[in-house]
Amino acid sequence: MIEESQLSEPQEATWCIGCGNFGIRAALKQAAIKLEVPHEELVLISGIGCSGKLPHYINMNALHGLHGRPVPIATGVHLANEDLKVIVITGDGDCLGEGLGHYLHGARRNVNIAVFIHNNGVNGLTKGQYAPTAPRGYESKTSPPPVGSPMMPVLPLPLAIVNGATFVARGFAGKRKMLIDLMVQAVQHKGFAVIDILQPCVTYNHELTWKYFNSHTYSLEEEGHDPSDKTAALEKAQEGYDNLPLGLFYKAEKPLLKEGLAIPKDGKLRMKENDLQKLQEIIDRRVIQ
Amino acid sequence: MDLNFNIGGVAGQGIDTIGDLLAQLFVGACFYTHTIKSYRSRIRGGYNYTQVRVSSEPVYAPVDEIDIVIALVKEGITRQRDQLVDGGVIIFDKSIEFEDMESCHFPAPLKETAEEVGGSEKMTNVAAVGTLLSVLNFPFSMIEDALSVVFKKKGDNIIQKNIDVAKSLYEYTQKEFKSKCRHDLTDAEKGACRDWLLLNGNEGLAFGAMAAGLKWISAYPMSPSTSVFQTIMQSAQELEIGALQTEDEIAAINMAIGASYAGARTMVTTSGGGFSLMVEGLGLAAMTETPIVIYDAQRGGPSTGLPTRTEQSDLMFLLFASQGEFPRVMFAPKDPQEGFEVAIRAFNLADRFQIPALILGDQHFADSILNIEHLDVSNVEIDRGKIAPDDIEDYKRYELTEDGISPRAFPGDKGKVVVSTGNAHLEDGHVTEDPIVRKAMVEKFLKKTPQILEEMQEPRIFGPEDAKTTLMTWGSTWGAAYEAMKILSSNGMSINQLHFCDVYPLRDETLRTIFDTADQIISVEQNSTSLFAKLVRMETGLAVHHEVNKYDARPMTARWIMKQLKEAGIE
Ligand SMILES: Cc1ncc(C[n+]2csc(CCOP(=O)(O)OP(=O)(O)O)c2C)c(N)n1
Ligand code: SF4
Ligand SMILES: [Mg+2]
Repeated sequence: MIEESQLSEPQEATWCIGCGNFGIRAALKQAAIKLEVPHEELVLISGIGCSGKLPHYINMNALHGLHGRPVPIATGVHLANEDLKVIVITGDGDCLGEGLGHYLHGARRNVNIAVFIHNNGVNGLTKGQYAPTAPRGYESKTSPPPVGSPMMPVLPLPLAIVNGATFVARGFAGKRKMLIDLMVQAVQHKGFAVIDILQPCVTYNHELTWKYFNSHTYSLEEEGHDPSDKTAALEKAQEGYDNLPLGLFYKAEKPLLKEGLAIPKDGKLRMKENDLQKLQEIIDRRVIQ
Repeated sequence: MDLNFNIGGVAGQGIDTIGDLLAQLFVGACFYTHTIKSYRSRIRGGYNYTQVRVSSEPVYAPVDEIDIVIALVKEGITRQRDQLVDGGVIIFDKSIEFEDMESCHFPAPLKETAEEVGGSEKMTNVAAVGTLLSVLNFPFSMIEDALSVVFKKKGDNIIQKNIDVAKSLYEYTQKEFKSKCRHDLTDAEKGACRDWLLLNGNEGLAFGAMAAGLKWISAYPMSPSTSVFQTIMQSAQELEIGALQTEDEIAAINMAIGASYAGARTMVTTSGGGFSLMVEGLGLAAMTETPIVIYDAQRGGPSTGLPTRTEQSDLMFLLFASQGEFPRVMFAPKDPQEGFEVAIRAFNLADRFQIPALILGDQHFADSILNIEHLDVSNVEIDRGKIAPDDIEDYKRYELTEDGISPRAFPGDKGKVVVSTGNAHLEDGHVTEDPIVRKAMVEKFLKKTPQILEEMQEPRIFGPEDAKTTLMTWGSTWGAAYEAMKILSSNGMSINQLHFCDVYPLRDETLRTIFDTADQIISVEQNSTSLFAKLVRMETGLAVHHEVNKYDARPMTARWIMKQLKEAGIE
């Protein structure tokens, strides 16, 4: 239902030449078309970072908000209109540093949104400091040698699985077909869907490069991994940078957040008012006789 | 008749229930009431009290003098006896060891009777009520009726037991309490009886928000704001309101911004500490021109401060919160009725001007219970502001218009792409750093303020317009200052009161008139640095002549204010 021309970039992308974000954007365009939904029903909610600028480079409804807060914003958008397909575009610093709490709570609420983490191991926009996903020892301006980053990386996928997310996957900006496929599935999935997207930052990250990811990743599907097996998924999701699995780790069906809330039957809060007669009854019950 | 009852006990003893019951009884009998709750930030133990003032005339504030104390613990006696009027009564449970008895002290078998007649210690509170009303010679038939209403949900059996307990103590007291410290309310003069609601400020605000079409609320509990959220939560199923307790206040405000961007009327509720966490979100709402209503129930600060006590010390914080410059509106309702009205206005102004609307309450506003006339929601006017027509082509969320207000559209609207961002942006919502566009967008904001100002209400003058002395107040301190003004006025002083509900942007016509006519303007504020007087000076250059400040985190009384004035030589 969406034509490629409808998505054409409102502004010319300011990403560095060779940046992984281009591959992610290209995949997102194809996924949007494949989803076969009306153009107006797609919404991007992005954080702050190189990744967070994506909504300006693809023509879709969007709210480009605050650093770390796209998950709660997306939750509000989704609950106010459940027809919308709400996609969070977030960086690893955004989602797993500043916004880690929201990420975990989004997962345990199983709120029906899709979260695409542009994982480049660095805070790109602030010029290359180590991000929460950087491996221990990663050297940057704020994690100088000899020690480099003095801590273990955050592992977004095991966290998501343990905390209740119901669609957990990893993609790579350089494996377009697989990424498109995962994006379509994540958006269609009913529940909290996460894709950890390996996104080379050509300017600042000289360890996690295109070449590195091409030679240090493998396909879960080809290995015969069963995404309904939570234990196996959790084990796979903890495998480190030496050899990263790609594809769908875990998928399950669980009650959705909105099923526990008093959202009107048509799933929309947009421009609604309250039934004043009912409210009057509620107030009248309080009148002292 | 104007009597003040103080019910003291430790948390968990049901002193709130006694207070509520008394207020309901008297309101049922057409008296006016004003109830305050003085409690600690703890769940069990610790001396707390509820104080119910009952009068045949409307009352607006607590008073210092107590006529009758009901003490469920010894501290209830020792802490309150200094405040007793001459001939004031102390009713206390027989089990309390207290030797220093005076003629108006009355040990009664409250617990014992509750257990023996009612079968549960829980009915101690009804026992206390029976005793108190007997001391007042309040007709027992009225108590019977009121108890039937109050315990209606619990069934006939419980009603009867409560009546039996109350009656048993009523009769016991008639027989045993022979002292002269009795009151005679057998035919006390009644007020004009109407449909009366007993509400605290937070409840008034919550009902106003629901009447205004609130469809989304996200919040994290924080005293003294929480009862707004809880009141709405309790009606959420019936009214189909989306409501969620979030992981923190940051999530709360960002969720609300998301829901508002998608077209829902939204509010968040918190106190100072939570508001601190919301500040970045406030800026996002402002920059994206996403309407939102924020309620800050102030308490003693800074930091955790005094969670269950009152203060008006967040005024400047809310006024200046967030980096950057943007239009906002601020209200400080004085009582539950005004809370209701302000909530509706706040939602309408937030939508019309696509701005954050901030409501400042405080613990005194939040928890004080007053009887107000019936709230009628049938005439509520809802104004959602400019909404883009369906057939518009090439929709731009931040279109530059004559009045600075761009029509809103929402994601999901056919044929429109709705792009919002907290970055500086072009008309279409995409980012820019262009200086000309930046200037135009800042001017878009600047255009809103004079229009907002037109919608703000002038402060109200109470008392004679041309008085020589003016008490200047805002928010919940209205009541005590009003009563002080009335008393001083009836004593022959030329005094009035200038009271603000709409605190920003500030209307200054009436203010300037008062500064022209009065000889001295005295600010009366529940803080130590006269924040509102500062705001007035900042906006108008007008400086008050004297400042009265209460910063012990306890609400004001008329007597306290009069004492301050006297000490300052203002008579
Ligand atoms: C509250 C706040 N703190 C700090 C910043 C500065 N800042 C902007 S982007 C960024 C990091 C972005 O890193 P990441 O989320 O990984 O995005 P990337 O640029 O790598 O895509 C930071 C720290 C900010 N915008 N807001
Ligand atoms: S800094 Fe890195 S992440 Fe940002 S645009 Fe350049 S290559 Fe991409
Ligand atoms: Mg990053």
